[in-house]
Amino acid sequence: MTRAVIDPVTRIEGHLRVEVEVDGGVVKDAWVSGGLYRGMETVLLDREPTDAFYISQRICGVCPISHGHASTMGSEAALGIKIPNNARIIRNIIEGAETLHSHILWFYTLTALDYVDVVSALSANIADTYALAEAAGTSTADFGAIQKRLKGFVEGGQLSIFTNGYWGHPAMKLPPELNLIAVAHYLEALEIQAAAAQIIAVMGGKFPHFMTSLPGGTVWIPTEAKLDEIYFLWKTVRDWVANTFIPDTLAIAPFYLDAAGYGKGVGNYLAWGQFDAADFDPYKRTLPRGLLVGDLTLQKPDEAKIKEYIDHSWYDSADGLNPADGATKAAYSDYSTDGKYSWVKAPRLDDKPMEVGPLSRMLVAYVGGNASVKSLIDTTLAALSKAAGATLGPAALQSLLGRVAARNLETMYVADEMGKWITELIQAIESGDSTYFVEPEKDTGAGAGLWEAPRGALGHWVNVKGGKIANYQVVTPSTWDMSPRDKNGIRGPLEEALVGTPIADIEKPLEALRIVHSFDP
Amino acid sequence: MAQNARGEFTELLAARGVSRRDFLKYCGSVAALLGMSEMYAPQIASAIESGAKLQPALWLAHGLCTGCTESMAQVGTPDVPTIVLDLLSLNYWETVMAAAGTQAEENIKATIDAAATTPFITIVEGSVMEGFNGYALRIGNKPGTDELKEVCAKSAAVIAVGSCAVDGGWVAGNPNPAGATGVSAFLKKNNINVPVINLPTCPVNPEWVVAILVDVLLAGELKSGKILEKLDAQGRPKFLFNSTIHDNCPRRGHFENGEFVKFGAADQAAQEAAGWCLYEMGCKGPQTYTTCPLVRWNKAISWCVESGSPCIGCGQANSLTGGSGNWVDASTPFLDRTKNVRLPGVGGVQPAVIGEVVGGIAAAGLVVHGVASAAKGRVKGVPTETEKVYDAKKKGGDK
Repeated sequence: MTRAVIDPVTRIEGHLRVEVEVDGGVVKDAWVSGGLYRGMETVLLDREPTDAFYISQRICGVCPISHGHASTMGSEAALGIKIPNNARIIRNIIEGAETLHSHILWFYTLTALDYVDVVSALSANIADTYALAEAAGTSTADFGAIQKRLKGFVEGGQLSIFTNGYWGHPAMKLPPELNLIAVAHYLEALEIQAAAAQIIAVMGGKFPHFMTSLPGGTVWIPTEAKLDEIYFLWKTVRDWVANTFIPDTLAIAPFYLDAAGYGKGVGNYLAWGQFDAADFDPYKRTLPRGLLVGDLTLQKPDEAKIKEYIDHSWYDSADGLNPADGATKAAYSDYSTDGKYSWVKAPRLDDKPMEVGPLSRMLVAYVGGNASVKSLIDTTLAALSKAAGATLGPAALQSLLGRVAARNLETMYVADEMGKWITELIQAIESGDSTYFVEPEKDTGAGAGLWEAPRGALGHWVNVKGGKIANYQVVTPSTWDMSPRDKNGIRGPLEEALVGTPIADIEKPLEALRIVHSFDP
Repeated sequence: MAQNARGEFTELLAARGVSRRDFLKYCGSVAALLGMSEMYAPQIASAIESGAKLQPALWLAHGLCTGCTESMAQVGTPDVPTIVLDLLSLNYWETVMAAAGTQAEENIKATIDAAATTPFITIVEGSVMEGFNGYALRIGNKPGTDELKEVCAKSAAVIAVGSCAVDGGWVAGNPNPAGATGVSAFLKKNNINVPVINLPTCPVNPEWVVAILVDVLLAGELKSGKILEKLDAQGRPKFLFNSTIHDNCPRRGHFENGEFVKFGAADQAAQEAAGWCLYEMGCKGPQTYTTCPLVRWNKAISWCVESGSPCIGCGQANSLTGGSGNWVDASTPFLDRTKNVRLPGVGGVQPAVIGEVVGGIAAAGLVVHGVASAAKGRVKGVPTETEKVYDAKKKGGDK
């Protein structure tokens, strides 16, 4: 048995340490430690619900929109506010833009360097690269110029962000030509994610951290010129996802089919649901609410059954509290994987760890019979089955490969749905609806905003007394996925997913890094 | 500048597929950003060309939300690949670097070890986490504060990006549960003397990070010591933080006319569509010193006030306060003109007598600043009022 440590885990939002015990080239046990405590829930106390909308976004600079919306929805639930239809559509569009932004940034900027060997791209044959791009149906670029730029960069001897990467690692499987295509699109993706973020900036002032979805609705008023801008930006991003992102995914996946064989995790999937329908029923959201336990049968999650354990976390309050009555009292002690080892609490639903994220959302939609999601997943599985020479059914999605694929396919689904929301907004305005905001009628109450960030189920529990926040609790996607062990010693979803991962080089545990990144922490 | 250095640099750019023409164009946009004529482009170019090696830099992640790195990814000029491939050698930048764990830490060590011959700069994102003896942030099994001390002490300069790095930001918000503070205050306390450039707002605006990297660091003003002359008492570059949002706000005309969007009014949407002033909604533009209305955000496509929300004053960080001056405590409740003064242990609810009336302070600031602006001839032909009509009517604030 050998312990390998990755600390700091890079290409994530925040601070994470991962320890794995490796025997015979396979991970046997794992511990995941969140490294940062800031105390948002405490800072928000005694402030106003509108303040919470602005401040709580600062939990996550990659998914501030989702935090802003969950906060606002929590306050609206507490104060009995039903937002106008226009505000609902506007929030869906902003939220959708964040999903596109986040998923594109995740695949190309954050995780691609686990699979794509930048240095190998130097030996690509340019003519073969064009041929490969054509065959894969993915977009071309000036591959020669990009290779030349890369060559100059490498020969200059200063590798900047690529210094000391896992170049030439035995787990890197792509041919040089595909590496070059991926590097070209890595650069292009930076432009596209920024275009998606510009949609948010038009409707919310800026990104990251936006300004407009205050409790009660929105203060952004659409004009013809702004709607034009949004439509053009959406179309640019949507077409890039269809013509580059998805074909890239399908071109790279056949080289990593072994990743369908490990990385499953706890096998319980929770989604609060995202993108509200006109009747605000969470089970009718574009990505619906649902819970899958064990054999993938669909159930309704009961948030009253959530308990947050702190047996292995640096907190000191009653153990197993429900977030509606939760407490956050930090108390640091030594780091020990046998004792306390994380700033992250361990939330459990019905005492079970829950995986959250695109895989959970897509599985809930798939099992629930969503036709678009079913078609996206089935055609992808068919393509991968052909490459594998074996049948890959929906069960194969419960793996590293499935988790990556689910996020990329969700990008396509959301991009297409977003087009419909823009049309819906234009029609609503044309019908003469000019209401965007309503005032609360009371100043006391408690409620929860149960929503989704790009990386998974997100909840803000808000308790307001006399217009001021009396208690505030947040359970983020990474609290679910990165949780340490609980009271019963049960591993968190990432810890469980790491078990069984093959490790070729213990000094450079690249495969473990892939598992971590597949959760998009 | 030596001719051979210039030749070397041009070759370096050519090897990277950047033509000299592209390079000059880029320098022109930097000049524009710095408020200079494009005629200065060749001067900026020659300043940059004087060193052929890329400037090594370490971007440290402390008590952060990663929003400032995210913000950098939204930069307009130049694009991100240019920054990370052609301008700087960012040997450490947690959110985007290929290496992780041991390999990542080796990059810091190698950069520090080479500092004697190749000076490097450090960019800090996030609050300094002093709580729990520095273990509120753990990096490599050590308190995050250890990394900060070790790296900053060897740096030629430190840039604190975003309000959290400047003074702790929201993380230092009352009751500051994790012991957050800013980089300047922390280094001073630990007797580490290194120039610190503070760039507030939450997140940092990427355009002024680039402006500082090029103008102050690459252009050699660090070496000459001129850098310090460009900073105000809080360590902020004067040219970016010497005017208020209110000074340059496109809604300013409506302020002068007394046309205000009323929060929750029946015709709020119509008032907003007409672009009325957000002062009565609690806008912190009058007391916030940044160039947001000019530089704007996300490749200049919009900015907060344009979207219909009042400014929440995220640029009001104060590096001299060591956390207590953070923008969240300075400005909440955001949608109110009167702020709650928070005393330790008392909570946020205050009797009216100790509520600090921000409206009045802002009004005084407006008069002083309006006069100063007019004296510099910034306002095109329009004489600045001695006192705003609104404030004359509502002396002492409107609460």
